[in-house]
Amino acid sequence: MEIGLALAILGAAAATMLAGIGSAIGIGIAGQTSAGVISEDPDKFGLTIVLTALPGTQGIYGLIMGFLILFRTGLLGGEVIALTTAQGLGLLFAALPIGFVGWYSAIYQGKAAAASIQLIAKRPEEFGKGMIYPVMVETYAVFALLMSIMIFMFLPF
Amino acid sequence: MAVAKMKKVYLIGHQTEKDYTLSLLQRMAVMEVSDLQGKMLPDTAWAELLEQDGAQESLQELEVRLLEVRFALDFLNRHYPQKKGLLSGLEDNRIPMELHNFKSQAVAWRQKAQEVYRELRRADDKLMALRNDETRLQNLRLLLKPWEKLDLALQEIRNTLQVCLELGMLPAEELAAFRTALTAAAEDAFLTEVHTDRDESFILTAYAVSSKETLQEALKQFTFNRQDFASLQGTAGENLLRIEDELAQAAIQRRAVLEEAGIQAAFREQLNCFSDYLVMERDKNQLVNSLARTENAFVMDGWVKEKDLSHLEQKLAVECKTVLCLAREPEVDEPFPVALENPPFAAPYEFITKLYGTPKPRGIDPTMALTPFFVVFFGICMSDAGYGLIIAALGAWMLWKVKLGPALRHVFKIVLACGISTIFFGALIGGWFGGLIPVQPFFFNALEDPMRMLIYALAIGIFQILVGMGIMFYWKVKEGKWMDAVFDQLFWALFLAGLILLAFPQTAGAARVLALGAAAGLVLTQGRAQKGIVKKFLSGLFSLYNVTAYLGDILSYSRLLALGLATSVIAMSVNMLSAMLGGTVIGSVFMVIMLVVGHLFNLVINILGAYVHSSRLQYLEFFNRFFESGGRPFKPFKLNTNHVNVAPGAPLGPEPRETMAV
Repeated sequence: MEIGLALAILGAAAATMLAGIGSAIGIGIAGQTSAGVISEDPDKFGLTIVLTALPGTQGIYGLIMGFLILFRTGLLGGEVIALTTAQGLGLLFAALPIGFVGWYSAIYQGKAAAASIQLIAKRPEEFGKGMIYPVMVETYAVFALLMSIMIFMFLPF
Repeated sequence: MAVAKMKKVYLIGHQTEKDYTLSLLQRMAVMEVSDLQGKMLPDTAWAELLEQDGAQESLQELEVRLLEVRFALDFLNRHYPQKKGLLSGLEDNRIPMELHNFKSQAVAWRQKAQEVYRELRRADDKLMALRNDETRLQNLRLLLKPWEKLDLALQEIRNTLQVCLELGMLPAEELAAFRTALTAAAEDAFLTEVHTDRDESFILTAYAVSSKETLQEALKQFTFNRQDFASLQGTAGENLLRIEDELAQAAIQRRAVLEEAGIQAAFREQLNCFSDYLVMERDKNQLVNSLARTENAFVMDGWVKEKDLSHLEQKLAVECKTVLCLAREPEVDEPFPVALENPPFAAPYEFITKLYGTPKPRGIDPTMALTPFFVVFFGICMSDAGYGLIIAALGAWMLWKVKLGPALRHVFKIVLACGISTIFFGALIGGWFGGLIPVQPFFFNALEDPMRMLIYALAIGIFQILVGMGIMFYWKVKEGKWMDAVFDQLFWALFLAGLILLAFPQTAGAARVLALGAAAGLVLTQGRAQKGIVKKFLSGLFSLYNVTAYLGDILSYSRLLALGLATSVIAMSVNMLSAMLGGTVIGSVFMVIMLVVGHLFNLVINILGAYVHSSRLQYLEFFNRFFESGGRPFKPFKLNTNHVNVAPGAPLGPEPRETMAV
C-alpha cells in the first residue's frame, strides 16, 4: 500500500474518531442531566431527548467526512486509486477541521445542552430559548464540516 | 402578521345570573377574566360599593367530589389498566356533547360515582389490610426459616424452674469460641447448632437456672442475639406451613376483592365524564374568587379580542336579562394579554414563535414572516425527495386518518408542509433516497457543486436578513419614528447591499458609490444618541464595526448547505453499504434490512437537525433584526375537558336557569 493511501485512511479514521469521541462525551453529559430531570418528571422525556441528541451530530459529521474519503480513495465501493503522499496528506488535512472542532464542540455543546435541560426542567415553556444555546455551539461544527467538505471537493486531483 | 387587538371589558349583572354568565363565558372561551382580588377598581366612582366576592361553599364540596372520582379512576387504572393503541396519546377521542345533556347526565353520574367510590374505597381498605397481613407473615417467615429443623414446640422454649432454654443467633465465626466459653462457665450447659448459613449460626442453649449469672458474665463478649417465639404454638416447621397456608389464603382473598371491585371498571367512562363535569364546575366556582360583588350584583373585568366582542355582547344580550357589558380600548401604556392572529396557512407556525416567546402587546408578531422561511429552510436542510415523501405521507395520514386535537393538527400541518418542501428541494438539488432511485435533480446536484449551493444558501440568508430589516423599517415608520427607520434600517440595508454587489464585476462601480455613501450616512447618524460632536462622530464610526455581526449572521446560513450535504452523504453511504451485502439470497434480506434501518436512522437524525437549525435561523438571525418578546399570553377562561367535548358557544337548549343562593 502506498503511503498516500495510508494517510488518506488516517484522515477518514481521524474524522470519525475525534468527532465521535466528542459526541459520546457530549451526549453522556447531557444524558446524565436528562436522567436526573426525568426522575422528577417523566413527562419531560420528549423535550429532553431533543436536547440530549444535539451533541450527537458532530459524530455524524465526522462519519460523513470518513465516508467521503473512503469513497474518493475507492476503498468503499470501487477501485482503489493510487495516491501520492501529497494527495494523501491533502485528504488527511481535509479531515482535520471536522475532527477537531467536532471533538471539542460536541463536549461543550453537551455542557450547554445539560444547562438547557435544567432550564426546561424548571420552565418547560422556554424550550425554544433553551434550544438556542446548544445550537449556537453547533454552528462551529457546521462551519468545520463545511470547510472539510470544501477542502475535500477542491483538492486538485 | 399581528397581535390581536384587545378590549378591556367589564361585565355587571345580577347575582342570580352570575353562574349562568360564567358558564356562558366558559363555553365561549373568549374572555380572560382578571383577578380583582386586592385591587377593587380603586379608580372607579363606585369602588366603595364593592366587596370581594368569595368562593361558595359548593367549591369545597366540588373539590371533595373531585378527589373521590380521581381516587376511583386511579384505582381502576392501577388494577385494571386499559389497553392503549399506538396513537392513543395523539388521538382526540372526546365524546361530543351538548351542555344541557352534560348537565342533566351529571345528576346520574354523581349518584353512580358515589356508589363506585364507596365500593372501591372498601376494596382498597381490604387490600391494604391484606397487604399488612402479608407483610407481617412474610417477616415472620423470614425469622422462622432458620429454625425449620428444630423439632421442639416453640411454646416450650422458655425458662422452667430448673432449666433455662434459649434460642439465639451469633456470627458463625464466633460459634466455636462461644461453645468453649459456655462449657467452661457451666459444665452442664448444653448447646446445639440448629442451622448455619453463610455468616450466622442459629443455636439452642440449655443450662441450669443456678448458673445463669455466671454464664451471662462469661458470654458478654459475644454478639449473641436472643430470639423469643414463645407466643407461637407448635414447631417452627409447623408454623412455616401455617404461614404458607395463610399467605395462600390472603392471595385468594385479594383475587376475590379485585374480582368484585372489577365490576366497577364498567363505569370508568361515566367517571371520566363526571370528572370533566366536576372540573368544569370547580373552575367556574374558583373564578368567583376573582370577582367583586355588591349586595345584589356581580362585577368582573377582563380582556376580549376585538373581533370576539360583538359576538359576546350579542350572546349576553340574548341570553341574559341583567348582564351589562362595557368595553373600552386599552389605555396608552396599559399592558394587555397577547393573542396571535394569523391567516390559516400561518396559524400553525405560531407554535414556533411561542417556543421562543410571546410578542409584546404593541409589538410585531413574526409568525407570518417566518412561515415561508421555516418551510423552505427545512426543505433545503433535508433535500432528499424520498425522505420528503415519507414526511409528507406521515403528515397527510395523521391529518386525514387520525382524529387529532387542535394543537396536534397544527403540528402535523407543519409536518406536511415541511414534507412537501423537502420533496421540492430534493427533486431540485438533491436526490431520491440518496440516489437509490436514480433521478437527476432538476436544477443541479448540490453534492457535486457545493460552491454554487453555498452561494444560494448565503443569498437566501441575505434575503431573509433584508426582509427582517424591512419589517423593522415598516414598523418604525408606522410608529412615526422615521429617523430610526431610515438611519438604522435603510442605511444598513444599503451598506450591506453595496458590499455584496462589490463582488460582481458588472456592478462594482455603482456598488462602491452605494457602499461608501451608506457608510458615510451610518457614520453621521449612528452616534445621534451621544452628546458632543466628537462623541457622535466616533460612535458613528465605531458602529461600522457592526458589519462583522451582519457578516457572521449571513455566513451562518451556510448551514443550509452543510445539513443538506450531510443528508445526501449518509443516504449514499447507506445505499453503498447495503449494495455490498447483496448477491446471495440471505445477503439480499440483510441488504433490505440495512436499507430500511439505515434510511430510517438518517431520516430521524436529519429531521431533528433540520428542525433545530431551521428554528435557530429564525430565532437568532431573523428575530434579531426586528422581534422583541416579553408579552403575557392570552389565557381565556374556558372548558378544560379531557373526555367530553362540549360544543363551544352552542345554543343552550331548554336548560332551566339555575339560580344561586345570593
